[in-house]
Amino acid sequence: MPGQPGPVALVTGAAQGLGQATALRLAAEGYRVAVNDITDDGRLSELAARTGGMAVPADISDPSAGPAMVAEIAGWAGPVAVLVANAAAMAMSPFLDAEPDDWWHQIDVNLSGHFRLIQAVIPGMRVAGHGRIVIIASGWGVIGHPNATAYAASKAGLIALTKGLGRELGPQGILANAIAPSYIDTEQLRVDAEDAGLSLEEMRQQYRDLIPVRRLASAADIAGAVAFLAGPGGNAVIGQVLQPNGGVTRTRA
Amino acid sequence: MTSDAAPTAFITGAASGIGAACAALLRGHGWHTAGVDLNPSDTDLVVLVDVTDRTGVAAAADAAVREFGQIDLAVSAAGYYEEGIDVAEITRAQWDRMLAVILGGTIHAAAAVLPHMLRRGQGAIVAISSELALAGSATDLHYVAAKGAVLGFVKSLALEVAETGIRVNAVAPGPTDTPLLARDSLWRKPEYLATLPLGRLVTPGEVAHAVHYLAVEGSMYCGEVLSPNAGAVI
Repeated sequence: MPGQPGPVALVTGAAQGLGQATALRLAAEGYRVAVNDITDDGRLSELAARTGGMAVPADISDPSAGPAMVAEIAGWAGPVAVLVANAAAMAMSPFLDAEPDDWWHQIDVNLSGHFRLIQAVIPGMRVAGHGRIVIIASGWGVIGHPNATAYAASKAGLIALTKGLGRELGPQGILANAIAPSYIDTEQLRVDAEDAGLSLEEMRQQYRDLIPVRRLASAADIAGAVAFLAGPGGNAVIGQVLQPNGGVTRTRA
Repeated sequence: MTSDAAPTAFITGAASGIGAACAALLRGHGWHTAGVDLNPSDTDLVVLVDVTDRTGVAAAADAAVREFGQIDLAVSAAGYYEEGIDVAEITRAQWDRMLAVILGGTIHAAAAVLPHMLRRGQGAIVAISSELALAGSATDLHYVAAKGAVLGFVKSLALEVAETGIRVNAVAPGPTDTPLLARDSLWRKPEYLATLPLGRLVTPGEVAHAVHYLAVEGSMYCGEVLSPNAGAVI
């Protein structure tokens, strides 16, 4: 990279959607970005090549994945200064039909996987006396959602994790915050549309109707929130939950 | 960005503290600024008016539109602070003045810019509230009540205009290093600062960053409260 090497960011769940948009945004702002997803089907290494970054595919629900990734990144560019905890698993079903395996998979990836990964990045941040942890939660983690209880519970767990980390690590210069998006116009919409038997545009319209601002967030909107929290604007922001979800969490039933 | 295409900010309380920091940051990003204050502000258009004067604030917004063509952002930062008063000792005059300046001033600023923003179908309104309104606070109850009322106003107006491109949000700073905090303020005491996860006061510039972010990238925030508060309220 030309000029001063920038600080290192690690983005999980970066193969597509808002993880990918976040990696692109942080790279544009001068970060050296390591990108993670459960496997590299070509998209991760392509993203890494585009951004001058590094692909670190791994299943974060594997307890050994976090330390191994952090060590690999340290050897490449140094300690992780900004962690964006974005990877997530989601399975929708009525609560009574929910399989225990699905419940635990969502908790293992979304909550426990990031718990371990955060443990792995903290020592390097402590040495630097500075670090930013940005946790991608969900509007559903704030207000809940029918047929998504496990997902919502995992995201609510991440919000509590964020607040605890804010209090515990803030005095060490490590600032943890969360973002609670809601409906985002990403590849996931296509999956949702197929599940619902709708066209992509019908799916978009159905979601728009649920959003007070009548607009889906773009992945870039959420990446902007990450960049704000990672940058100088985030210097006094600790343990907060940003909610760029168009007012979804403002609505009353 | 050419000067003709520069966005315009309308800022109350622009002469000092958070309002002044917003004006400085926005000007640094190439914005035109109109500053409403009792005192002269370092802005492109200086309007000396009391924010409790609804007509005066409306005239100021009209002047800003005449001068710059539009208003892209309104920041309601005008306010003052009184602490160390038990609730039973707050006089009627103190209540009335506090509500008139902080809540009334915010309503007047929003009402002044809304017609212009509605005409274009876009704009951002950011009201400066306080983390005290999120958690409550003793011995400054009239200030906290006024800042809390601002949050109710913001959330409701945000929903009212949600289907337009106008976004209404609040920034609720923690204790901020401005002239509003007296030298002997409780919030400046080392024992208090040591309780904050950040261990220090928020700077006016940090609050301005939050305002700027909402103005330029805040299109998905609708009635939200962004709180750069040093960890005072989590």
